[in-house]
Amino acid sequence: MSTLQSLNGSPFLLGFLFNHEQVRNMSRVKRRNTHPGYWLPLKNVQKKDDKISADNLRFVREVIQDKYKNKSPLKGSELQIEKTEWDPKTKRSGVIARNIGRQQMWDKAGNKIVCTVLHVLDNHVIRYIPPEEYVKTSRGAIHFKNKTPLGCLVVGAEATNPEKFTRQYCNLFSEVGLLPKKTLSRFIITPNAALPPCTPITAGHFLVGQAVDVYGKTIDHGFQGVVKRWGFKGGPASHGATKFHRRGGTIGTGRDKARVWPGTKMPGHMGSERRYNRGLMIMRINMKYNVIYVKGTVPGATNSMVRIFDTLLPLRKLKEAPPHPTYFPPEEGTQKEEDIWDSSLHVYGSPSISV
Amino acid sequence: MAVTRFQFLSTFSRQFSSISNAHIVQPKLRIEEIRGKRISIFDKEYKRQQSLIPRLEKIEVAYEGFDNETTTLVMNKGVSTPYNCAQHISEHVMKNSVVAEVNGEIWDLHRPIPSDCTLKLLSMKPEDQHQASLVNKTFWRSCSYLLGAVVEGSFQDDISVTLHSFPPANVRSGSFVYDVQLSLDDWVPSLNDFRQIAATFQKFVRQNHTFQRLDIDSSVALKMFEDNVFKADQIPHIATKSSSGNTVTVYRCGDHIDISRGPMIASTSLVGRCSIAAVHRLDSRIYRFQGVALPSEIYINHFAFGILETRARKLNPARTPELKSN
Repeated sequence: MSTLQSLNGSPFLLGFLFNHEQVRNMSRVKRRNTHPGYWLPLKNVQKKDDKISADNLRFVREVIQDKYKNKSPLKGSELQIEKTEWDPKTKRSGVIARNIGRQQMWDKAGNKIVCTVLHVLDNHVIRYIPPEEYVKTSRGAIHFKNKTPLGCLVVGAEATNPEKFTRQYCNLFSEVGLLPKKTLSRFIITPNAALPPCTPITAGHFLVGQAVDVYGKTIDHGFQGVVKRWGFKGGPASHGATKFHRRGGTIGTGRDKARVWPGTKMPGHMGSERRYNRGLMIMRINMKYNVIYVKGTVPGATNSMVRIFDTLLPLRKLKEAPPHPTYFPPEEGTQKEEDIWDSSLHVYGSPSISV
Repeated sequence: MAVTRFQFLSTFSRQFSSISNAHIVQPKLRIEEIRGKRISIFDKEYKRQQSLIPRLEKIEVAYEGFDNETTTLVMNKGVSTPYNCAQHISEHVMKNSVVAEVNGEIWDLHRPIPSDCTLKLLSMKPEDQHQASLVNKTFWRSCSYLLGAVVEGSFQDDISVTLHSFPPANVRSGSFVYDVQLSLDDWVPSLNDFRQIAATFQKFVRQNHTFQRLDIDSSVALKMFEDNVFKADQIPHIATKSSSGNTVTVYRCGDHIDISRGPMIASTSLVGRCSIAAVHRLDSRIYRFQGVALPSEIYINHFAFGILETRARKLNPARTPELKSN
């Protein structure tokens, strides 16, 4: 069991040779960094604005509205999108959403299903990087070492006032004519799923009943002890135990190597790590408010940002074509349905189940 | 006529120099030579004026500061400047004063005070509306001057640059202006060119030069600007408009000397962010350089500054220079 564990994730074969119980390697890997990469443009403004008069503030706001009003993309009739076919090997773009909390649904048999509500913010495509170009970047080179390269779609969410960001950050969006976004994300896609810049991506990008992977940063628990962090049992609460209730106990043998092994489980910072929750089923989509109800829970606290994309799990992958490359509302202006529920769910307001 | 003959002469001399294989750096050296010559005349005149003062007499300067508190300072007549008064008060006042108000009249910070007076030192953010507009105009005037100083040294060695003049500061127009004659027929500057000039401007400004003022006789001024046809033409007109009928006010900032009537800011350290917005071609070879700048004390976000830059790109409606010869 332990050898299998160590083979699975470890770059060190030592674990396999010495047959240790604890998997020390994952706890040794650098799990988080608090600063953005040095190659990225500085995002937030460092200096505070001088006092501008109320008239001038209003004028600047009007200028911003005028500048970006005409650039809001239409329903998709203006954008030239090539009609490409979906096949099971296609990788579509994902979506940036905010976790707004949890809700419960009931299925027709009366079982409660806890769902996480994800609000898809105003996502727009910023740019598409074709595979040949993406492979040349440092991130792309790591990603596609010994694999066929794929393209990269840069998507932004949550448009904000350009005055809050630096000029370099706003320039990322000015080429496309969009208001600067608070969050940016990359999605690895096959070239047939490419989208032109300024395309909006909404909740309709997914199908009800589809499985998705949600990727986010876990809840930050801060500095935590060994019981909460690693699940140690600690010591007895009574029976004369002196000052040994939630401690780790022994940290080494004393004989072998005569030191503490690197990666020994100890108290430390817990949480605020990027994790995937895979294979979550979409139970309900509200097209009007761009909200997705996903079965289960999602990494991160309420109001944190997550990325959602089609699942990679082989048994839950998409078998039928989803809206490809993305969802475009019908041109008549009337949408088919505002709220789409999964067939197994009991819809609120419909006649209740009688047993 | 004079202009064309002069131009013919300069091209003639340039052709000669190329034949003799000394075609590198000819006009550039000329600018440095000219500046050196002007500075030597300026220094000589300055020393002469200083030596006119037989002995140091004292004057009482009533400084009106924060909360209308009055302090009396005893300074030297004809030698002490409002900057010296500021040095007696505090470092903050010294560094942030833009221009002074001597007996209600706007006064350069480095210009000697001639007699007993009341003194006020104005910063970039004065309380009074009227004072604010005066300070604003002074700042724009100084920026025009600096634009000329920077443009003169920005061009390649084989292009002759002749500064014409700059119109009076008008904040409402949206930009400060300098009219320059270049030996280029149809020049359309690229974005990179604008950035380059702005970078040179910033570099010059960061050297913290002070603006030194000098009132000189028109004959001395003519000797100083004998190589610049336009200035030589303007000097008699400027001299007749002055109070004594014969004086011309000249400012020195670093290595550059130029004619200007009004007061200038204390030093280039007061200029903060600047950008060259546009270059419009006026007539034949006269180009109007337009820019916009902010004082270093005032900071606004990039979007608001972008709005100012867009406004500054429009052709400034100030008076165009008339070339009499053409």
